Amino acid sequence: MTNYIYTPDNNNPGFRCRVPLNNTVQLFVADGIMQQENIGEISIQQQERGYTLHVEKGKNIPELLQIISVRTSANTRPLDFSSRFELESCSSAKLLLCSHTLSEDNFATNENISVEIGENAVLDLVMMQNEHNNSIHNAKFDISLAANSLLRFHIVTLHGGEITNTINVNLNGKGCECDLNGLYLANGKQHISNKVNISHNVPECHSNQLFKGILEDEAITKFSGTILVAKDAQKTEAYQANNNLLSSDFAKAYTQPHLEIYADDVKCSHGATVGSLNEDELFYMRSRGISYNEAKLLQQQAFAYAALAKINNPELLDRLGNLVEKRLRGEFSHCQNCSTHCC
Amino acid sequence: MENLIEIKDLHASINGKEILKGINLTVKAGEVHAIMGPNGSGKSTLSAVLAGKENYEVTGGSVTFLGRNLLEMSPEERSWAGLFLGFQYPIEIPGVTNVNFMKTAVNEHRKQNNLPALTAAEYLKLMREKLAIVEMDPAFSSRGVNVGFSGGEKKRNEIFQMAMLNPRLAILDETDSGLDVDALRIVANGVNKLKTPQNATIVITHYQRLLDYIVPDIVHVLYKGRIIKTSGKELALEVESRGYDWLINESE
Repeated sequence: MTNYIYTPDNNNPGFRCRVPLNNTVQLFVADGIMQQENIGEISIQQQERGYTLHVEKGKNIPELLQIISVRTSANTRPLDFSSRFELESCSSAKLLLCSHTLSEDNFATNENISVEIGENAVLDLVMMQNEHNNSIHNAKFDISLAANSLLRFHIVTLHGGEITNTINVNLNGKGCECDLNGLYLANGKQHISNKVNISHNVPECHSNQLFKGILEDEAITKFSGTILVAKDAQKTEAYQANNNLLSSDFAKAYTQPHLEIYADDVKCSHGATVGSLNEDELFYMRSRGISYNEAKLLQQQAFAYAALAKINNPELLDRLGNLVEKRLRGEFSHCQNCSTHCC
Repeated sequence: MENLIEIKDLHASINGKEILKGINLTVKAGEVHAIMGPNGSGKSTLSAVLAGKENYEVTGGSVTFLGRNLLEMSPEERSWAGLFLGFQYPIEIPGVTNVNFMKTAVNEHRKQNNLPALTAAEYLKLMREKLAIVEMDPAFSSRGVNVGFSGGEKKRNEIFQMAMLNPRLAILDETDSGLDVDALRIVANGVNKLKTPQNATIVITHYQRLLDYIVPDIVHVLYKGRIIKTSGKELALEVESRGYDWLINESE
């Protein structure tokens, strides 16, 4: 393979990332420490453990900002760090957050990510998690949206030992919208949890959640989703769906929808499913000469696709689609504990 | 001519209930066979057992396909060996596009023959050629497999798939059900265009109507899991005018 780019020389020389997507700015965070100064017009404030990225009022950042956060053997202690993304009113940004483990140490990471989206601002946020089987990672998002702002958030958990995502979203300004999509792929003895709390604090906001999980072997996943509609939050629209596809008798998917509605003029729904592969579809495909494994893969990919489909960067969508396929083909795990670096 | 398939005293059951009670049937290359019979006679069970559907249990007899024991083969191996089942109720697969589905199938067949996978351009060319056989719009290829297809489109899609896979033996299970006259003609023309001296077709049908278009060499009547009558194409016409009762009375 050629055309790898490397992190700055002062950073871990072993880390590599494939050619970035077109029109992408890459930023590197090693063991919680941001490795770069301000880039162009994007303001980054360093903190002891973490960083703040600030987008000024009215500023539209055309590039995709890819922030690659890695755990390395240089610091194997449990780690807490915080990152903060601030979009002032009428600004827009596209963020891709990747998290990886570069060595086989038993990492424990607590990450707090706060996101503040100002009035009329638009944020496209994609989080991609690909860590090894001995990694514990708690990612906690605290997100607030002001009036008429929009968040499109995709969280894709490709690999990891014990991953817990807590996503708290506060819809604080009239007319804001949050579209939240999650895909988690779990095999072996992996544990993946997604806890979502969406609070409709004011009227006329929309939220949509779609979380999809594909489980194999003895994997365990949990989804709990709360939609809270405050007393005065009339004309709220809030939807939630969690679908799980189990390809093993020993995998377990827990799903817990929770709606708390105090307003009386709202549209809300929730749905949760746990199912296995569709035998009729499998037989149909096999009768055309598609082997069992390929037929299963096609079905899993079709199942996963809806959770990615709304990514509006076609190149990124394509890349993630490929990663999902590779992951489902088992090409991620070189050995029992590790995963490939794929960002 | 070469025997493509030899079915000998085939017994099969589902959930402990015997449906096939000793089927004997040999199909040679170049032949078109029709299997007719009233509801519940075992026609669809026969096609499902031959294609390898897992919830049927074969309790006796043998099936030899091109010299191999068909009953030991997985559904995909049967397909690779040259068997094709046209489904009575084609399955919808949301999220898997027709092009992805058929390209995967064609390339798996090629892999079995140690041929390289088709390039996108090669596949497209082949697909266009075969779509024309069943008068289908290439735009259909980006849609989910059978999703939102009308009854006629689903059956045309079955024949399109048959054309792509070029089987030695095609079993068409109630291909005429749910078709209007135009769709019936298109589907039947498709089957006729694919006929060669090397391949063969078994047409399973309720009605004689389809056999006006796909003319069989041999007609079998199946009843209660056995073939009770085998004759030339005139048998189909006789069934159409007289029903099955006289044959049933004759056999009992």
